[in-house]
Amino acid sequence: MSHLHIPDGVLPPLLWIPGLLLALLLLGLSALAARGASRQQVAYQGALGALMLAVMAVEVPLGPLEYHLSLLGPVGVLLGPAATFQVVFVANAILALVGHGGLTVVGLNALVLGAGGALARPVYGLIARRAGAPGAMVGATIVAQAVSGALWLLVVGVGLRAGAAGTARLGLFAGIAFPMWIVGIGIESVVAFGVARFLARVRPDLLPGGGPMAEETP
Amino acid sequence: MINTLAQIDHVASAGRTPWHRASALSKLLLASGLVLLAVFAPSLRLLAGLYATAWALALSARLPWRLTLAASGYPLAFTLLFLLARWDGTAGTPLRLLLRPLTASLAAVWLVGTTPYPDLFAPISRVLPRSVGDGLFLTYRALFELMGRTSGLWRALRLRGGASGPARRRLTLAGEGFATMVLYGFERSQRLYATMLLRGHSGRICGCRHWAEWSRADLLVAATALVVTAGAVLLWRTP
Repeated sequence: MSHLHIPDGVLPPLLWIPGLLLALLLLGLSALAARGASRQQVAYQGALGALMLAVMAVEVPLGPLEYHLSLLGPVGVLLGPAATFQVVFVANAILALVGHGGLTVVGLNALVLGAGGALARPVYGLIARRAGAPGAMVGATIVAQAVSGALWLLVVGVGLRAGAAGTARLGLFAGIAFPMWIVGIGIESVVAFGVARFLARVRPDLLPGGGPMAEETP
Repeated sequence: MINTLAQIDHVASAGRTPWHRASALSKLLLASGLVLLAVFAPSLRLLAGLYATAWALALSARLPWRLTLAASGYPLAFTLLFLLARWDGTAGTPLRLLLRPLTASLAAVWLVGTTPYPDLFAPISRVLPRSVGDGLFLTYRALFELMGRTSGLWRALRLRGGASGPARRRLTLAGEGFATMVLYGFERSQRLYATMLLRGHSGRICGCRHWAEWSRADLLVAATALVVTAGAVLLWRTP
Protein backbone atom coordinates (compact mmCIF):
# COMPACT_ATOMS: atom_id res chain seq x y z
CA MET A 1 0.00 0.00 0.00
CA SER A 2 2.79 2.38 0.81
CA HIS A 3 4.29 2.37 -2.64
CA LEU A 4 2.37 3.15 -5.78
CA HIS A 5 3.33 0.40 -8.21
CA ILE A 6 1.27 1.87 -11.01
CA PRO A 7 3.04 1.24 -14.30
CA ASP A 8 3.37 3.57 -17.27
CA GLY A 9 0.43 4.00 -19.59
CA VAL A 10 -2.49 3.12 -17.34
CA LEU A 11 -3.11 6.51 -15.73
CA PRO A 12 -4.44 9.38 -17.85
CA PRO A 13 -1.85 12.06 -18.75
CA LEU A 14 -4.09 14.62 -17.04
CA LEU A 15 -3.19 12.91 -13.79
CA TRP A 16 0.49 12.06 -14.13
CA ILE A 17 1.73 15.16 -15.98
CA PRO A 18 0.58 17.63 -13.28
CA GLY A 19 1.84 15.14 -10.69
CA LEU A 20 5.28 15.10 -12.27
CA LEU A 21 5.40 18.90 -12.59
CA LEU A 22 4.27 19.42 -9.00
CA ALA A 23 6.83 16.91 -7.74
CA LEU A 24 9.62 18.68 -9.65
CA LEU A 25 8.49 22.02 -8.24
CA LEU A 26 8.49 20.63 -4.69
CA LEU A 27 11.86 19.05 -5.34
CA GLY A 28 13.26 22.46 -6.26
CA LEU A 29 11.69 24.03 -3.17
CA SER A 30 13.01 21.25 -0.94
CA ALA A 31 16.49 21.80 -2.38
CA LEU A 32 16.19 25.50 -1.54
CA ALA A 33 15.04 24.67 1.98
CA ALA A 34 17.93 22.26 2.47
CA ARG A 35 20.63 24.33 0.73
CA GLY A 36 22.56 24.71 3.96
CA ALA A 37 22.76 20.96 4.45
CA SER A 38 26.24 19.52 4.96
CA ARG A 39 27.68 16.90 2.62
CA GLN A 40 27.46 14.44 5.49
CA GLN A 41 23.75 15.06 5.69
CA VAL A 42 23.37 14.26 2.00
CA ALA A 43 25.30 11.03 2.59
CA TYR A 44 23.01 10.24 5.54
CA GLN A 45 19.98 10.88 3.32
CA GLY A 46 21.45 8.47 0.78
CA ALA A 47 21.92 5.81 3.44
CA LEU A 48 18.34 6.17 4.70
CA GLY A 49 17.02 6.16 1.13
CA ALA A 50 18.90 2.92 0.53
CA LEU A 51 17.49 1.55 3.79
CA MET A 52 13.95 2.37 2.59
CA LEU A 53 14.60 0.46 -0.62
CA ALA A 54 16.22 -2.46 1.21
CA VAL A 55 13.33 -2.68 3.66
CA MET A 56 10.82 -2.61 0.79
CA ALA A 57 12.31 -5.92 -0.32
CA VAL A 58 11.55 -7.50 3.08
CA GLU A 59 8.33 -9.48 2.96
CA VAL A 60 6.16 -9.55 6.07
CA PRO A 61 3.66 -12.44 5.78
CA LEU A 62 0.09 -11.15 5.93
CA GLY A 63 -2.10 -14.22 5.61
CA PRO A 64 -2.14 -15.20 1.94
CA LEU A 65 -0.47 -11.90 0.98
CA GLU A 66 2.88 -10.32 1.76
CA TYR A 67 3.34 -6.81 3.07
CA HIS A 68 6.33 -4.73 2.02
CA LEU A 69 7.47 -2.24 4.63
CA SER A 70 8.54 1.31 3.77
CA LEU A 71 9.76 2.86 7.07
CA LEU A 72 8.18 6.10 5.84
CA GLY A 73 7.38 7.33 9.35
CA PRO A 74 10.82 6.80 10.91
CA VAL A 75 12.64 8.19 7.87
CA GLY A 76 10.33 11.23 7.87
CA VAL A 77 11.00 11.84 11.57
CA LEU A 78 14.77 11.38 11.26
CA LEU A 79 15.24 13.58 8.17
CA GLY A 80 12.50 16.21 8.28
CA PRO A 81 10.10 17.23 5.48
CA ALA A 82 12.45 18.63 2.81
CA ALA A 83 15.07 15.89 2.97
CA THR A 84 12.40 13.19 3.19
CA PHE A 85 10.80 14.39 -0.03
CA GLN A 86 14.16 14.24 -1.79
CA VAL A 87 14.88 10.76 -0.44
CA VAL A 88 11.44 9.52 -1.50
CA PHE A 89 11.88 10.95 -5.01
CA VAL A 90 15.28 9.29 -5.43
CA ALA A 91 14.00 5.95 -4.11
CA ASN A 92 11.08 6.04 -6.52
CA ALA A 93 13.31 6.97 -9.45
CA ILE A 94 15.59 4.00 -8.76
CA LEU A 95 12.58 1.68 -8.43
CA ALA A 96 11.13 2.97 -11.70
CA LEU A 97 14.35 2.17 -13.54
CA VAL A 98 13.82 -1.52 -12.81
CA GLY A 99 10.13 -1.49 -13.71
CA HIS A 100 8.74 -1.07 -10.18
CA GLY A 101 6.34 1.76 -10.86
CA GLY A 102 6.45 3.58 -14.15
CA LEU A 103 8.93 6.26 -15.13
CA THR A 104 6.11 8.68 -15.92
CA VAL A 105 4.57 8.03 -12.49
CA VAL A 106 7.70 8.90 -10.50
CA GLY A 107 6.20 12.31 -9.69
CA LEU A 108 2.92 10.91 -8.40
CA ASN A 109 4.79 8.26 -6.43
CA ALA A 110 6.98 10.90 -4.82
CA LEU A 111 3.95 13.03 -3.98
CA VAL A 112 2.04 10.12 -2.45
CA LEU A 113 4.89 8.94 -0.23
CA GLY A 114 6.44 12.36 0.25
CA ALA A 115 3.25 13.96 1.55
CA GLY A 116 3.03 11.43 4.36
CA GLY A 117 6.74 11.51 5.09
CA ALA A 118 6.78 15.32 5.23
CA LEU A 119 4.19 15.29 8.01
CA ALA A 120 6.04 12.80 10.17
CA ARG A 121 8.49 15.14 11.92
CA PRO A 122 5.97 17.92 12.74
CA VAL A 123 3.61 15.32 14.22
CA TYR A 124 6.50 13.77 16.14
CA GLY A 125 7.38 17.18 17.54
CA LEU A 126 3.82 17.72 18.73
CA ILE A 127 3.59 14.39 20.54
CA ALA A 128 7.15 13.78 21.77
CA ARG A 129 6.97 15.82 24.98
CA ARG A 130 3.89 14.02 26.23
CA ALA A 131 4.32 10.51 24.88
CA GLY A 132 8.10 10.09 24.66
CA ALA A 133 10.05 9.08 21.58
CA PRO A 134 8.46 5.66 20.88
CA GLY A 135 4.91 6.96 21.32
CA ALA A 136 5.61 10.01 19.18
CA MET A 137 7.17 7.82 16.48
CA VAL A 138 4.04 5.67 16.45
CA GLY A 139 1.83 8.77 16.13
CA ALA A 140 4.00 10.18 13.35
CA THR A 141 3.96 6.86 11.50
CA ILE A 142 0.18 6.53 11.78
CA VAL A 143 -0.28 10.00 10.28
CA ALA A 144 2.35 9.46 7.57
CA GLN A 145 0.95 6.10 6.51
CA ALA A 146 -2.66 7.27 6.73
CA VAL A 147 -1.99 10.29 4.51
CA SER A 148 0.08 8.31 2.00
CA GLY A 149 -2.48 5.50 1.91
CA ALA A 150 -5.37 7.94 1.43
CA LEU A 151 -3.55 9.63 -1.45
CA TRP A 152 -2.75 6.20 -2.93
CA LEU A 153 -6.41 5.24 -2.83
CA LEU A 154 -7.36 8.60 -4.31
CA VAL A 155 -4.92 8.32 -7.24
CA VAL A 156 -5.89 4.75 -8.05
CA GLY A 157 -9.60 5.60 -7.67
CA VAL A 158 -9.29 8.55 -10.04
CA GLY A 159 -7.30 6.37 -12.45
CA LEU A 160 -10.00 3.72 -12.41
CA ARG A 161 -12.79 6.27 -12.84
CA ALA A 162 -10.93 7.82 -15.76
CA GLY A 163 -11.16 4.41 -17.36
CA ALA A 164 -14.93 4.51 -16.91
CA ALA A 165 -14.91 1.75 -14.33
CA GLY A 166 -18.31 1.01 -12.88
CA THR A 167 -19.16 1.89 -9.31
CA ALA A 168 -19.30 -1.80 -8.42
CA ARG A 169 -15.70 -2.28 -9.59
CA LEU A 170 -14.55 0.74 -7.62
CA GLY A 171 -16.37 -0.63 -4.59
CA LEU A 172 -14.67 -3.99 -5.01
CA PHE A 173 -11.29 -2.30 -5.26
CA ALA A 174 -11.97 -0.22 -2.14
CA GLY A 175 -13.18 -3.34 -0.34
CA ILE A 176 -9.84 -5.05 -0.95
CA ALA A 177 -7.57 -2.04 -0.51
CA PHE A 178 -9.10 -0.44 2.59
CA PRO A 179 -8.48 -3.34 5.02
CA MET A 180 -4.92 -3.70 3.70
CA TRP A 181 -4.38 -0.01 4.29
CA ILE A 182 -5.49 -0.30 7.92
CA VAL A 183 -3.39 -3.42 8.52
CA GLY A 184 -0.41 -1.69 6.85
CA ILE A 185 -0.72 1.28 9.21
CA GLY A 186 -0.71 -1.13 12.15
CA ILE A 187 2.37 -3.04 10.97
CA GLU A 188 4.38 0.09 10.17
CA SER A 189 3.45 1.65 13.51
CA VAL A 190 4.65 -1.30 15.58
CA VAL A 191 7.90 -1.48 13.57
CA ALA A 192 8.36 2.28 14.05
CA PHE A 193 7.84 1.80 17.80
CA GLY A 194 10.76 -0.65 17.80
CA VAL A 195 12.93 1.74 15.79
CA ALA A 196 12.29 4.65 18.18
CA ARG A 197 12.63 2.54 21.33
CA PHE A 198 16.06 1.33 20.23
CA LEU A 199 17.28 4.75 19.08
CA ALA A 200 16.00 6.43 22.27
CA ARG A 201 18.09 4.00 24.31
CA VAL A 202 21.23 3.86 22.17
CA ARG A 203 21.51 7.13 20.20
CA PRO A 204 18.81 9.56 21.36
CA ASP A 205 20.73 12.35 19.67
CA LEU A 206 19.63 11.00 16.27
CA LEU A 207 15.99 11.69 17.14
CA PRO A 208 14.67 15.26 16.82
CA GLY A 209 15.25 17.09 20.11
CA GLY A 210 16.79 13.92 21.47
CA GLY A 211 19.83 15.28 23.23
CA PRO A 212 22.77 17.61 23.27
CA MET A 213 24.20 16.19 20.04
CA ALA A 214 21.00 16.74 18.10
CA GLU A 215 22.27 19.96 16.56
CA GLU A 216 25.35 18.21 15.20
CA THR A 217 23.56 15.29 13.67
CA PRO A 218 22.38 15.40 10.11
CA MET B 1 13.52 -6.81 -6.63
CA ILE B 2 17.05 -6.12 -5.35
CA ASN B 3 18.39 -9.37 -6.79
CA THR B 4 17.00 -8.35 -10.16
CA LEU B 5 18.59 -4.94 -9.79
CA ALA B 6 21.93 -6.52 -8.82
CA GLN B 7 21.88 -8.78 -11.88
CA ILE B 8 20.97 -5.92 -14.20
CA ASP B 9 23.73 -3.82 -12.64
CA HIS B 10 26.24 -6.59 -13.36
CA VAL B 11 25.07 -7.03 -16.95
CA ALA B 12 25.32 -3.27 -17.51
CA SER B 13 28.97 -3.22 -16.50
CA ALA B 14 30.04 -6.56 -18.00
CA GLY B 15 28.26 -6.32 -21.38
CA ARG B 16 30.32 -5.80 -24.55
CA THR B 17 27.68 -5.13 -27.21
CA PRO B 18 27.47 -1.91 -29.29
CA TRP B 19 24.59 -0.83 -27.06
CA HIS B 20 26.91 -0.98 -24.06
CA ARG B 21 29.47 1.15 -25.92
CA ALA B 22 26.97 3.82 -26.93
CA SER B 23 26.77 6.97 -24.82
CA ALA B 24 24.36 7.12 -21.91
CA LEU B 25 22.75 10.30 -23.22
CA SER B 26 21.75 8.84 -26.58
CA LYS B 27 20.34 5.70 -24.94
CA LEU B 28 18.50 7.81 -22.39
CA LEU B 29 16.89 9.82 -25.19
CA LEU B 30 15.94 6.69 -27.14
CA ALA B 31 14.46 4.98 -24.07
CA SER B 32 12.55 8.14 -23.10
CA GLY B 33 11.16 8.35 -26.62
CA LEU B 34 10.05 4.73 -26.50
CA VAL B 35 8.35 5.24 -23.13
CA LEU B 36 6.52 8.39 -24.26
CA LEU B 37 5.45 6.78 -27.53
CA ALA B 38 4.19 3.73 -25.64
CA VAL B 39 2.20 5.93 -23.25
CA PHE B 40 0.60 8.15 -25.90
CA ALA B 41 0.32 5.88 -28.97
CA PRO B 42 -3.35 5.29 -29.87
CA SER B 43 -2.66 2.56 -32.43
CA LEU B 44 -2.49 -1.09 -31.45
CA ARG B 45 -0.20 -1.87 -34.40
CA LEU B 46 2.20 0.85 -33.35
CA LEU B 47 2.19 -0.42 -29.78
CA ALA B 48 2.91 -3.96 -31.00
CA GLY B 49 5.74 -2.59 -33.15
CA LEU B 50 7.20 -0.67 -30.21
CA TYR B 51 7.02 -3.75 -27.98
CA ALA B 52 8.79 -5.82 -30.66
CA THR B 53 11.42 -3.09 -30.99
CA ALA B 54 12.01 -3.05 -27.23
CA TRP B 55 12.48 -6.84 -27.24
CA ALA B 56 14.86 -6.57 -30.19
CA LEU B 57 16.88 -3.99 -28.25
CA ALA B 58 17.00 -6.15 -25.12
CA LEU B 59 17.93 -9.35 -26.95
CA SER B 60 20.54 -7.69 -29.17
CA ALA B 61 22.09 -6.25 -25.99
CA ARG B 62 22.40 -9.88 -24.83
CA LEU B 63 20.44 -9.26 -21.67
CA PRO B 64 19.51 -12.66 -20.19
CA TRP B 65 15.96 -13.27 -21.42
CA ARG B 66 14.71 -14.64 -18.10
CA LEU B 67 16.02 -11.63 -16.25
CA THR B 68 14.54 -9.32 -18.86
CA LEU B 69 11.20 -11.10 -18.69
CA ALA B 70 11.17 -10.96 -14.88
CA ALA B 71 12.11 -7.28 -14.68
CA SER B 72 9.94 -6.06 -17.52
CA GLY B 73 6.98 -8.24 -16.57
CA TYR B 74 6.62 -6.70 -13.14
CA PRO B 75 3.90 -4.21 -14.19
CA LEU B 76 1.63 -7.12 -15.20
CA ALA B 77 0.19 -7.61 -11.71
CA PHE B 78 -0.95 -4.04 -11.25
CA THR B 79 -2.05 -3.69 -14.87
CA LEU B 80 -4.48 -6.58 -14.34
CA LEU B 81 -6.37 -4.44 -11.81
CA PHE B 82 -6.84 -1.70 -14.37
CA LEU B 83 -7.57 -4.25 -17.05
CA LEU B 84 -10.48 -5.65 -15.03
CA ALA B 85 -11.75 -2.18 -14.22
CA ARG B 86 -11.72 -1.04 -17.83
CA TRP B 87 -12.96 -4.25 -19.43
CA ASP B 88 -15.29 -3.27 -22.27
CA GLY B 89 -15.69 -6.59 -24.03
CA THR B 90 -13.24 -5.77 -26.82
CA ALA B 91 -9.74 -7.15 -27.32
CA GLY B 92 -8.24 -3.77 -28.20
CA THR B 93 -8.58 -2.09 -24.80
CA PRO B 94 -6.89 -4.82 -22.73
CA LEU B 95 -4.17 -5.26 -25.35
CA ARG B 96 -3.40 -1.55 -25.28
CA LEU B 97 -3.41 -1.57 -21.48
CA LEU B 98 -0.98 -4.48 -21.46
CA LEU B 99 1.37 -3.32 -24.22
CA ARG B 100 1.88 0.21 -22.87
CA PRO B 101 3.43 -0.67 -19.49
CA LEU B 102 5.24 -3.73 -20.84
CA THR B 103 6.92 -1.69 -23.59
CA ALA B 104 7.84 1.10 -21.20
CA SER B 105 9.32 -1.22 -18.59
CA LEU B 106 11.20 -3.20 -21.25
CA ALA B 107 12.72 0.03 -22.59
CA ALA B 108 13.76 0.96 -19.03
CA VAL B 109 15.31 -2.46 -18.47
CA TRP B 110 17.24 -2.18 -21.76
CA LEU B 111 18.52 1.23 -20.67
CA VAL B 112 19.71 0.16 -17.21
CA GLY B 113 20.95 -3.18 -18.55
CA THR B 114 23.31 -1.48 -21.03
CA THR B 115 24.40 1.55 -19.00
CA PRO B 116 26.52 1.43 -15.83
CA TYR B 117 24.90 3.51 -13.11
CA PRO B 118 27.50 6.34 -12.94
CA ASP B 119 26.96 6.96 -16.68
CA LEU B 120 23.19 6.72 -16.35
CA PHE B 121 22.88 8.97 -13.32
CA ALA B 122 25.34 11.59 -14.59
CA PRO B 123 22.97 13.22 -17.14
CA ILE B 124 19.95 12.79 -14.86
CA SER B 125 21.73 14.42 -11.92
CA ARG B 126 22.55 17.45 -14.05
CA VAL B 127 18.91 18.39 -14.41
CA LEU B 128 18.12 17.78 -10.73
CA PRO B 129 18.98 19.98 -7.73
CA ARG B 130 22.47 19.23 -6.46
CA SER B 131 21.45 17.49 -3.25
CA VAL B 132 18.99 15.28 -5.16
CA GLY B 133 21.51 14.44 -7.88
CA ASP B 134 24.11 13.52 -5.27
CA GLY B 135 21.45 11.56 -3.39
CA LEU B 136 20.87 9.45 -6.49
CA PHE B 137 24.51 8.32 -6.55
CA LEU B 138 24.82 7.90 -2.79
CA THR B 139 21.57 5.98 -2.42
CA TYR B 140 22.50 3.56 -5.20
CA ARG B 141 25.99 3.08 -3.78
CA ALA B 142 24.61 2.27 -0.34
CA LEU B 143 21.77 0.11 -1.60
CA PHE B 144 23.48 -3.24 -2.15
CA GLU B 145 25.45 -3.01 1.09
CA LEU B 146 22.38 -2.19 3.16
CA MET B 147 20.36 -4.82 1.33
CA GLY B 148 22.92 -7.45 2.29
CA ARG B 149 22.85 -6.31 5.90
CA THR B 150 19.06 -6.20 6.02
CA SER B 151 18.87 -9.70 4.57
CA GLY B 152 21.36 -10.94 7.18
CA LEU B 153 19.43 -9.20 9.95
CA TRP B 154 16.17 -10.79 8.83
CA ARG B 155 17.80 -14.23 8.77
CA ALA B 156 19.32 -13.71 12.23
CA LEU B 157 15.95 -12.63 13.61
CA ARG B 158 14.34 -15.83 12.33
CA LEU B 159 17.15 -18.07 13.61
CA ARG B 160 17.10 -16.51 17.08
CA GLY B 161 13.37 -16.80 17.57
CA GLY B 162 12.44 -13.36 16.35
CA ALA B 163 9.92 -14.86 13.96
CA SER B 164 7.92 -16.60 16.69
CA GLY B 165 5.54 -15.25 19.28
CA PRO B 166 2.85 -12.61 18.97
CA ALA B 167 2.93 -10.33 15.94
CA ARG B 168 3.47 -7.24 18.09
CA ARG B 169 6.64 -8.69 19.63
CA ARG B 170 7.96 -9.87 16.26
CA LEU B 171 7.39 -6.52 14.59
CA THR B 172 8.87 -4.56 17.50
CA LEU B 173 12.00 -6.73 17.32
CA ALA B 174 12.16 -6.17 13.57
CA GLY B 175 11.90 -2.43 14.21
CA GLU B 176 14.78 -2.58 16.68
CA GLY B 177 16.77 -4.47 14.07
CA PHE B 178 16.06 -1.80 11.48
CA ALA B 179 17.15 0.83 14.02
CA THR B 180 20.59 -0.80 13.99
CA MET B 181 20.55 -0.19 10.23
CA VAL B 182 19.79 3.48 10.87
CA LEU B 183 22.82 3.62 13.16
CA TYR B 184 24.92 1.87 10.55
CA GLY B 185 23.68 4.32 7.90
CA PHE B 186 24.63 7.26 10.11
CA GLU B 187 28.12 5.92 10.80
CA ARG B 188 28.54 5.03 7.14
CA SER B 189 27.65 8.59 6.15
CA GLN B 190 30.37 9.91 8.48
CA ARG B 191 32.96 7.58 6.94
CA LEU B 192 31.83 8.40 3.42
CA TYR B 193 31.98 12.12 4.12
CA ALA B 194 35.54 11.77 5.43
CA THR B 195 36.49 9.75 2.35
CA MET B 196 34.96 12.33 0.03
CA LEU B 197 36.94 15.10 1.72
CA LEU B 198 40.15 13.08 1.48
CA ARG B 199 39.59 12.53 -2.23
CA GLY B 200 39.16 16.24 -2.86
CA HIS B 201 35.37 16.36 -3.14
CA SER B 202 34.51 19.58 -4.95
CA GLY B 203 30.95 19.98 -3.73
CA ARG B 204 29.17 17.90 -6.34
CA ILE B 205 29.27 14.27 -7.38
CA CYS B 206 29.57 14.45 -11.16
CA GLY B 207 29.60 10.77 -12.11
CA CYS B 208 31.87 9.75 -14.94
CA ARG B 209 32.59 11.93 -17.94
CA HIS B 210 31.69 9.32 -20.57
CA TRP B 211 27.95 9.88 -20.52
CA ALA B 212 28.04 12.29 -23.48
CA GLU B 213 31.07 10.95 -25.34
CA TRP B 214 29.85 9.98 -28.78
CA SER B 215 31.18 6.91 -30.53
CA ARG B 216 30.33 4.84 -33.60
CA ALA B 217 27.93 2.84 -31.50
CA ASP B 218 25.78 5.96 -31.17
CA LEU B 219 25.05 5.73 -34.89
CA LEU B 220 23.19 2.51 -34.13
CA VAL B 221 21.15 4.31 -31.49
CA ALA B 222 20.43 7.14 -33.92
CA ALA B 223 19.42 4.68 -36.66
CA THR B 224 17.07 2.91 -34.26
CA ALA B 225 15.56 6.23 -33.25
CA LEU B 226 14.99 7.05 -36.93
CA VAL B 227 13.30 3.71 -37.57
CA VAL B 228 11.10 4.12 -34.49
CA THR B 229 10.14 7.66 -35.51
CA ALA B 230 9.31 6.58 -39.06
CA GLY B 231 7.25 3.66 -37.75
CA ALA B 232 5.41 5.95 -35.36
CA VAL B 233 4.53 8.41 -38.16
CA LEU B 234 3.35 5.61 -40.46
CA LEU B 235 1.33 3.67 -37.89
CA TRP B 236 -0.01 6.45 -35.65
CA ARG B 237 -3.44 6.60 -37.31
CA THR B 238 -3.84 2.87 -37.94
CA PRO B 239 -6.19 0.85 -35.69
